[in-house]
Amino acid sequence: MTPWSTASVRVRLTAWYAVVLALMLVAYATATFVAVRHEFFEQFDDQLHDDFETAEAFLTSSGDDGVVWTGDRHHDPDDDEDRGSDVWLASGEQVYRSGASSSLPPVALAATTAQRRYESIVANGRPWRTLTGTSLVSGRAVVLRVSRTETHLRNQLREILVVLVLGLPVVVVLAGTGGLLLARRALTPIDHLASEARRITADRLHERLSVPNQHDEIGRLAAVINETFARLESSFGQLRRFTADASHELRTPLSVIRGIGEAGLGETRTPAEYKEAMGSMLEEVDRLTNLVDTLLRLSRGDAGTVRLAREAVDLGQLTRDAVSSLGILAEERNQRVTVDGGEGVVVTADRLVLREAITNVVDNAIKYSPRDSSIRIRVRADGHDAHLAVADEGPGIAPEDRQRIFDRFFRLDEARSREHGGAGLGLAIAKWAIEANGGRITVENGPKGGSVFHIVLPAGTPPATSDHEHAFNV
Amino acid sequence: MKVLVVEDERKLAHVLASALQAERYEVVVARTGDDGFSRANAEVFDLVVLDLMLPGRSGLDILQILRQRSIDTPVLILTARDGVDDRVLGLDRGADDYLVKPFALPELLARIRALLRRGRPSEVLRLKTADLELDPVARRAARGERLLELTAREFELLEYLLRHSGHLVSREMLACEVWKEPRRATPLDNVIDVQITRLRKKVDTEGAARLIHTVRGVGFVLREGEP
Repeated sequence: MTPWSTASVRVRLTAWYAVVLALMLVAYATATFVAVRHEFFEQFDDQLHDDFETAEAFLTSSGDDGVVWTGDRHHDPDDDEDRGSDVWLASGEQVYRSGASSSLPPVALAATTAQRRYESIVANGRPWRTLTGTSLVSGRAVVLRVSRTETHLRNQLREILVVLVLGLPVVVVLAGTGGLLLARRALTPIDHLASEARRITADRLHERLSVPNQHDEIGRLAAVINETFARLESSFGQLRRFTADASHELRTPLSVIRGIGEAGLGETRTPAEYKEAMGSMLEEVDRLTNLVDTLLRLSRGDAGTVRLAREAVDLGQLTRDAVSSLGILAEERNQRVTVDGGEGVVVTADRLVLREAITNVVDNAIKYSPRDSSIRIRVRADGHDAHLAVADEGPGIAPEDRQRIFDRFFRLDEARSREHGGAGLGLAIAKWAIEANGGRITVENGPKGGSVFHIVLPAGTPPATSDHEHAFNV
Repeated sequence: MKVLVVEDERKLAHVLASALQAERYEVVVARTGDDGFSRANAEVFDLVVLDLMLPGRSGLDILQILRQRSIDTPVLILTARDGVDDRVLGLDRGADDYLVKPFALPELLARIRALLRRGRPSEVLRLKTADLELDPVARRAARGERLLELTAREFELLEYLLRHSGHLVSREMLACEVWKEPRRATPLDNVIDVQITRLRKKVDTEGAARLIHTVRGVGFVLREGEP
């Protein structure tokens, strides 16, 4: 873990913000300074140009062949430390030199043309800017140079630079501090959420986070976390119920076996009594074995380790098979089981697994329907789905039980189911089997009472390669 | 008939041995893989009951080496693993049959009988116990002079009981041999019980001796006299 990755979001946000701001400010300041500097130098050159024109106007011819500098009172170059003017004749004779320009080197007369030339030079440690060019005074060519020292200009630019360079970190620090405060303010609710969420442990899952404003991002986050807690609570509840039910179902036969064994050993009994005791123990072993088998299959289903041999299955035929094997149970209760439709309704499913699901649902309908009633099964294609409906004339299922009826060990009527030897796993197996085959199972009450189980499976064609995994089922 | 039982769990080995002895087999018990292996190599057995999970040499190893040495004694394996792969693996290595633990003793005995019968003419033309007679070819069954009117399923059920006459038949055996269902489930158990009740009504009518008996917690047996 680097220090960076352990820093809080708040600090990281602020750091990013400050760095980006600093980069932007540096770019902005640099651009500003360059522009200002350029503008200053242009203005400076314009002033030199004005000086040149003024100086030209000061030159007049003096009769025969002389040129004379006629300075005016408003502009006294001798008193001006920062500005200077020099005038030469073409012959090289200097006609005029102001005081300030005495430190400047002479110009190369031969190289001077009517084209005026700007130059920056350093003399006696001072930077100067000069403008040199030829000029005609009453027909005579003279070389004229005006100069200004750049010291003031450079000082001004330096001041601007100092303000920019010193001000920038101050601005960044101020903005960063502001950013940190804002980030803290924005992120405090998250810290708050985190500490609230940490408080909600496995045994306090019924608690929820407080949602100050459900419309902002934090509120939505809290709502999502709350939904997760709700799901977690419901899973925990299911798991707890399942564990309690499973231990009950497993322990009951175990205590029966133990009890019978202990009672049998207690005192001498007749062989018939021993046989009775052992038979009774074996019955419980049988029940345990079935239960363990079923639970193992369900947990394999949960773990996703069950491989299905999916193939094209005629749903109508499969349903009739399942019904005919259970027919004898309905006959005993004088119930009629009818199967309508199903011609050519083909689904892609594992035949054995799907058959077990249908068997369990139909068996359930037979069990909970009164004597002399009818159980109607309809199979039909419904667009891309195959639809199987099992309608009975039983008591129906209350709305609050409709989801739980598929839960493991759920029984609507405790006494009645035990009598039938079921552990409340039949519909749980059916639900698993149908969902494993890509379908879904629901239950509702029929229009004339009774319950209707709907099984919807995706219709389909067989995969190209068939799987022979179930060849060794015995 | 001499049977070798290779099983490390003491109680189970004892139960297997006494059940087989009760059926008049000569039983040799080996409690480790190595012991089982050397006995199977040295002596001649009619059948080997082999547990797959053994200390020392595993059941599968023993099986493979036996088959490599061309010892063709029928082998029935016992396994706690009921995954398809485990079962296929055992059969591929040369096992003749297998049973998943926990198994019912009657089923083990029936499978042993079936393995020992193998290769011999097993089709008995007429199956007979007391005055109950069944002709599998003509599909006709009679109790004394009285012809029994049976449904197809009832006929198959009676035929199976008669073939195992005098021996216990568990619901598991009926589920997979008569109903051809790969898996025994609660609904099927109910179906089997109802079917047996109906068959009994037809076979054991009033006045005649009871032949189809229920053995509590185990299954059914067809025999004369008390179960």
